[in-house]
Amino acid sequence: MSRYNRCLALPTLVGSITLLAAVPLYGSDYITGVALTLLMWLALTQSWVVFSAMTGYISLGHAVFFGAGAYVMVLTFGVLPFWISVIVAGAASGVLALLVGYPCLRVRGPYFVILTFGLAELVKYIVINVEAALGKFGRLLMGAPSLDQLFWVILGLAIISTLITYTVRRSRFGAGLRAIRENEGAAETVGINVARFKVLAFALSAIIPGMVGSVVVLRTTYFEPLDVFNPITSFTIVSMAIIGGGDDVPGPVYGACFLVLLQELLWANWPEIYMILLGTFLVTFVLRAPDGIQGRLAAIRRKIAR
Amino acid sequence: MTLLQLKDVSRRFGGVVAVNNIGLSIEKNEIVGLMGANGAGKTTLFSLIAGNLPPSAGEILFDDQRIDGLRADQISRLGVARTFQIVRPFSGLTVLENVTISALFGSSRTKSMVSATNIAREVLEEVGLTNRAGDYASALTLSGRKRLEIARALATNPKLLMLDEVMAGLTATEGAEAVAMIRRFQETRNLTVIVVEHVMGILMDLCPRIVVLHHGALIAEGSPQDVANDSRVIDSYLGTR
Repeated sequence: MSRYNRCLALPTLVGSITLLAAVPLYGSDYITGVALTLLMWLALTQSWVVFSAMTGYISLGHAVFFGAGAYVMVLTFGVLPFWISVIVAGAASGVLALLVGYPCLRVRGPYFVILTFGLAELVKYIVINVEAALGKFGRLLMGAPSLDQLFWVILGLAIISTLITYTVRRSRFGAGLRAIRENEGAAETVGINVARFKVLAFALSAIIPGMVGSVVVLRTTYFEPLDVFNPITSFTIVSMAIIGGGDDVPGPVYGACFLVLLQELLWANWPEIYMILLGTFLVTFVLRAPDGIQGRLAAIRRKIAR
Repeated sequence: MTLLQLKDVSRRFGGVVAVNNIGLSIEKNEIVGLMGANGAGKTTLFSLIAGNLPPSAGEILFDDQRIDGLRADQISRLGVARTFQIVRPFSGLTVLENVTISALFGSSRTKSMVSATNIAREVLEEVGLTNRAGDYASALTLSGRKRLEIARALATNPKLLMLDEVMAGLTATEGAEAVAMIRRFQETRNLTVIVVEHVMGILMDLCPRIVVLHHGALIAEGSPQDVANDSRVIDSYLGTR
């Protein structure tokens, strides 16, 4: 990065955060809603990158942390203050990741992918059955915070998750995770406690999705296990991370912006086309640009510099 | 002073005995050559010492401490480093990043990224990879990757360094350079080195003591001359008459 760029980076960052934070003040509810959706996906994808992009263990089950957070909010709604519920939701998701991480992280590659997916489905059906046993079929959440308040909380979570990715990527911990991705046996041989690193990263990447889930469930004011544990959430996170590319902060930003924009443009009028396009983009990126938008932009920048 | 001691160490894979009852002790600052035909158990022995594989039987002591049963990362932290015969670079990272990671972990356990990078730069200078620091490890040639293996092992700041065929496939000149390099860092870093090599000339030249394995068992040890004249060694390489 040039000196000029570095000087510009901070003001640009502060400027765009201020602009975003002010969205509810000048935008319509629709604009605020779109911005909230964008920030929600940004927070989820940043969290995913901390674990999956850095270690190479692809989690196809991050919906379970989102859903678990939402469920914690539903169970504690009206009992605990909003803030406490959000924190408990994050902690619960982190603990869930610690518990399942230890056995799951013994397997690699496609086995791990399928395992995380299956686990998320398992938890979903456990919650559905528990709710059924309690005689609850969907719950209404009356008296939730306003859309504007929810927006600011999600903005905060998006900033925190971005900071986490930024910090981990440049830390000793992150160096260990990337070594695990490149060659786990060699990583262990140069002194990295691979089992502990993987489990800690998995737990770290589960906390923010738990908190996001707990906040977003209040937006719909209605709790339905099939919605909050929807595997589409996991697929979307992975799609955004792949299209965005890389194991650093910019990838999720590009990926989330790109897909949310695409969705907003097409969803209302041509929903079928959205799914077709999403599939096409995924196939194209995986085959032609596995380093994603971030990687392509970097390549263009290198070309210009030369 | 003894740095490494193996007591009746064995490793079985199902019915195959890859390492059979090996007893061996290695002094501080020694350079020991490990010799034997393909499949003699040399690499398995390295894996047992480095903790990549647990032994099926026996004890391994390093610095008077039992290390058999410890994980590879724990053993690395105590000061044991190895290279892999089939190289295992962190391909998607740069050469400098590869070595920096070693300096952050292993027994150097450097806490700051900046000092780890400085250590990595020094080590790259030592092995002659400075001009490739910014390249991805995947862009190196095989001999470059072998150097990277050595650099990564050195950056963990080991007491014991195990080199697994780092000179295989090198030309005579490159081989001589490599011998000089190993001698140099053995002296400057006070290292104990175990070298596995197929190039007999190099091994004879570099190592005052040579240990010979055959079908997993230790069949001879001694000076290069003794070993070269040992009838069991000759038989194991050329077959019995």
